Amino acid sequence: MTIERVLYLLQLASPALPVGAYSYSEGIEALVEMGIISNAQSLQHWLEQELRYGAIRLEAAVMVRTYHAVQNGDIEALSYWNQWLSAARETEELRSSSWQMGRSLIKLLVELQPQVLPLADAVGSCNYAIAFGIAAASWKIEPLSAVILGYLHSWTTNLVTAGVKLIPLGQTAGQQIILNLFSDLTNTATEALTLSDDDLCSCSWGLSLASMAHETQYTRLFRS
Amino acid sequence: MLRLLELNNSQKLNSWHGSLNIVYALVDGATAVTHQQMQAPLKVQRPFYPEGAVCHSVILHTAGGIVGGDKLSLNFHLQPKAHTLITTAAASKIYRSNGLEARQNILLQVDTDACLEWFPQETIVFNGAIYRQDLRVELAPGATWLGWEITRFGRSARGEKFLQGNWRSHTEVWQQQHPLWIDRQWLHGDEQIINSPHGLAGNSIVGSFVWIGQSISTDVVEKIRTLNSTVEQGEIGVTRLNAGLLCRYRGNSTTEVRNWFTEVWHLLRSSSLGKPAYRSRVWQI
Repeated sequence: MTIERVLYLLQLASPALPVGAYSYSEGIEALVEMGIISNAQSLQHWLEQELRYGAIRLEAAVMVRTYHAVQNGDIEALSYWNQWLSAARETEELRSSSWQMGRSLIKLLVELQPQVLPLADAVGSCNYAIAFGIAAASWKIEPLSAVILGYLHSWTTNLVTAGVKLIPLGQTAGQQIILNLFSDLTNTATEALTLSDDDLCSCSWGLSLASMAHETQYTRLFRS
Repeated sequence: MLRLLELNNSQKLNSWHGSLNIVYALVDGATAVTHQQMQAPLKVQRPFYPEGAVCHSVILHTAGGIVGGDKLSLNFHLQPKAHTLITTAAASKIYRSNGLEARQNILLQVDTDACLEWFPQETIVFNGAIYRQDLRVELAPGATWLGWEITRFGRSARGEKFLQGNWRSHTEVWQQQHPLWIDRQWLHGDEQIINSPHGLAGNSIVGSFVWIGQSISTDVVEKIRTLNSTVEQGEIGVTRLNAGLLCRYRGNSTTEVRNWFTEVWHLLRSSSLGKPAYRSRVWQI
């Protein structure tokens, strides 16, 4: 990767990217309330399982398909995978959070790079993984494995930050969790590159129940 | 190695390739079977009409269970305005595999203004089973599909857990080449996944109830969320889909999950289909 492309990736994967990621916990707020996530170990375990078998692994694999679709100028594939992801979201709350973040990123991208507009128009209600793939391909970030790592790393950082706030944990404990997840991040990134369409499946019982519980949680700081 | 090969070959020789092709149509105001083709070990019993115009069908697996290498293919087609309720005569059993995957492909084609209620009894996935089910619903505009899937991992009554094997159950509902709901579940037999709160949280039973084809108002969703009095042990959740509703259960009792799903079903049946509550005589609950 050229140094210049590293900078694009850092910008795209940065927690400062104005897409509102900090307002989503993806069910972690409900899990903390239920006492299922209560310390660094249980938070790390949850994120580990999610990376190995969960929805984020599928999202990463769909992001890969988006990146290829943009490279090939295949707008039909882009729209197909966006609809696929919307239909595969576990809950209404997770669907709207993905759409909100996707919309924000696409809006930003169109302002920075107006040539993205036809892609944005073709996709419609855009999931975040799709918007991320469009951004990475438009900024010509490569190799693709680095793009996936950036996607997964920003997801991890965001949820660890949510956990640190909710449990609560010290900042060092949060950083340690992220470091401990490095091997899972690289494994999932490798898998996301090679997963066939037929093998797109996940274990989502825990996530869907946690997110459904969050939809009716009485007091909450996070929107998912 | 040779023995393993022999085992695999004998399993291949004994495997079933059963199929069903059934077509339903509205004839003189009631839904009738207009075409049927069956291949062992699958059968469909003679349709019956316990509630007037709705056609009730019961699927029978005459070999008792599914082994590695089996391929079952079920096709049901509801022509416009047909209304059918389909269930199974008994729980399905997926036996421990000696290497081969067992597969079940289900295609449900529901034409305009038709309604298919799909309520098979539970599937028991034995420890060591390798199973994959693909259920695809082709839903025409105006059509409705509602169904449940209840799965028990391991013969839990005797303490068996699903510590080996692989289970995949892919359910997809499409309307005119657009996906309405995609649920591609996967459970790898592994102690950590079975016990993790992210997986089964130490439970043996999971269930999904889904209603697709008409959007559900928030009022009805709120009402459904209060129907939890029968659930004591399991965890439950309700959410809205783009064109419907989804309920999930994770716990240890098939009676509990069936009672809860039945309550939700009855509420939706009366509020959205204008049909009274019904309990199938084959379920014995």
